[in-house]
Amino acid sequence: MSLTDLIYLSQKSLRSNILRSVLTSLGIIIGVSSVITMISIGSGARQEVEEQIERFGSNNLILRSQSSSNRGVSMGVNSINTLTLKDMEALKNELPAISAIAPRVSLSTQIIANGNNWLATVTGTTNDYFNLGNWKFELGRSFQDDELDSGSRVAIIGKTVQKNLFGTDSPIDEVIRINKVPFTVIGLLDAKGGTAWADLDDTIVVPLKTAKQRLVAKKFPGDQIRSMTINVSSSDLLFKTEKDIDTVMRKLHKISANGNPDFVIRNYAQFLNARQESSRVMSILLATVAGISLIVGGIGIMNIMLVTVTERTKEIGVCMSVGAKKRDILLQFLIESLMISLIGGLIGIGLGLGVIFGVSEYFNWKMSLDYMSLVLSFVFSSSIGIIFGFYPARKAANLNPIDALRYE
Amino acid sequence: MIKIDSISKEYLMGDNKLLALNNINVSISDGEFVAIMGSSGSGKSTLMNIIGCLDVPSSGDYFFKDDNISKFTANKLAELRNKEIGFIFQNFNLLPRLNALENVVLPLLYSGKNQKERNNLALKALEDVGLKDRIHHRPNQLSGGQQQRVSIARAIAGSPKLILADEPTGALDSKTSIEIMTILNNLNAKGITLVLVTHEDDIAKYGSRIIKMKDGQIIEDKKNVSN
Repeated sequence: MSLTDLIYLSQKSLRSNILRSVLTSLGIIIGVSSVITMISIGSGARQEVEEQIERFGSNNLILRSQSSSNRGVSMGVNSINTLTLKDMEALKNELPAISAIAPRVSLSTQIIANGNNWLATVTGTTNDYFNLGNWKFELGRSFQDDELDSGSRVAIIGKTVQKNLFGTDSPIDEVIRINKVPFTVIGLLDAKGGTAWADLDDTIVVPLKTAKQRLVAKKFPGDQIRSMTINVSSSDLLFKTEKDIDTVMRKLHKISANGNPDFVIRNYAQFLNARQESSRVMSILLATVAGISLIVGGIGIMNIMLVTVTERTKEIGVCMSVGAKKRDILLQFLIESLMISLIGGLIGIGLGLGVIFGVSEYFNWKMSLDYMSLVLSFVFSSSIGIIFGFYPARKAANLNPIDALRYE
Repeated sequence: MIKIDSISKEYLMGDNKLLALNNINVSISDGEFVAIMGSSGSGKSTLMNIIGCLDVPSSGDYFFKDDNISKFTANKLAELRNKEIGFIFQNFNLLPRLNALENVVLPLLYSGKNQKERNNLALKALEDVGLKDRIHHRPNQLSGGQQQRVSIARAIAGSPKLILADEPTGALDSKTSIEIMTILNNLNAKGITLVLVTHEDDIAKYGSRIIKMKDGQIIEDKKNVSN
């Protein structure tokens, strides 16, 4: 008996009781959709973390000034700049785990060029800023040492600034006016895209010294700076270095161990870890649901197939009387349970895709559909069908023809 | 064609042994039309099931075309039933989900014939029993007589040498019974060996030879002279 004949006979008997067939596959439906959702959440989280590292650089800590709060009343983040270039030098000298530090001053201001107006964030920093932040150059170059030392009026701009001031034309060697001060554009940064809270490409970078002298002399007097990006030589040292920076900074600023610090350390890895952890918990939960419902679904299939074998005992006898061999009967029932579980698998894949789409749409949670998960679902559901369908099928095949035929 | 050599069949009913067949010897030649008669419990159905290879004897030998099939495996018996034997049952035993044509095709599926060949054979068999215009009807859309004709078509579709009929008219009215017996008679006339089990004299008299059984033994075996 050929496979197509077997499939034809099986679908005929499944269709004769379509509600029962679908209900039987419910466990498989839930199991498979959980598997797909689980894998998508996991790989989505992994992808998101990789993207974030790509954007912000890995193993970075951000140290920022923070006005100390007075009786619970914050003076505002920008009111006092407590960090200085001396702090930066001290950290570099005391903590060998730090491989580089990029200082930063910033302001939001009007830019005029090419007859266009644009409001952008201007950052004054050093070349380390580009390395630590994973910035690549689309055109032009980074700062030269003499430009940094002499406070030259040169600027490197982001894609959004280019678009709004120059359209698609090359901005290199063009003059832009930042706060009325003319700067020559020497570089164009590669696009990074936006995050939920900011457009990273809406940026202009100038040498630290230039910024301090010409743009933010009042806001950051002396050697004050806004923040620094601190790169740690290895990810294993990230959390220890975070603590060490805290200790060194308290000593420098003469703040006791339990006093209110006038700085804050942002550890981006912390956020990534939390994100990964929550998706891991979600995956474990879904894996449990998937495992349980696949087993329950398998038992459901076995149960229904046993009922079917009993119901159709006489029919099995008739088939045997006209020449069905054990193998024919075994295969027919096995294919029936395989079809139930595969139909369940297909519906489950549909449901899983729906869940993935819904979740990523409404919760803005990144999920990526893994084609391996589709293959895995097929393997899962068909093996459940075969494993749990085998016992009932063998029971049918081992019936004695005359006993089966006489069964009422 | 068939030689049954001191065959017995025992059943266990609780602690009691029931001797359904007690040392039976009988031979059936090609082309015979044998009617086996007896009251219920006489062993006539057991004998027919053994002849049809649906059941195996407890002791004795059964030769089918010179093969001692008491030694056959379940699969070889299935093959034998498929190729050499056709069954007709009292309550038709058609598969309710399949239409007439698909029911007739069933034994041909198991013999591994290709689709075109088995469809042609099944159509021819249905034509032979006069049901050409009913091939897409399900069993529950057919009358008792039509259902029995479908089951005859199923029995003859694979051109077997032997057809076994177990009370083929038991569920039918007398007019339809005559139609069915006429079809069986015609089959016998074409050379098919026929073994019929019945308890009705009217039906048994169609046979060319009548075997009477009682308590697991043959009590009478003679040519039917009235035919």
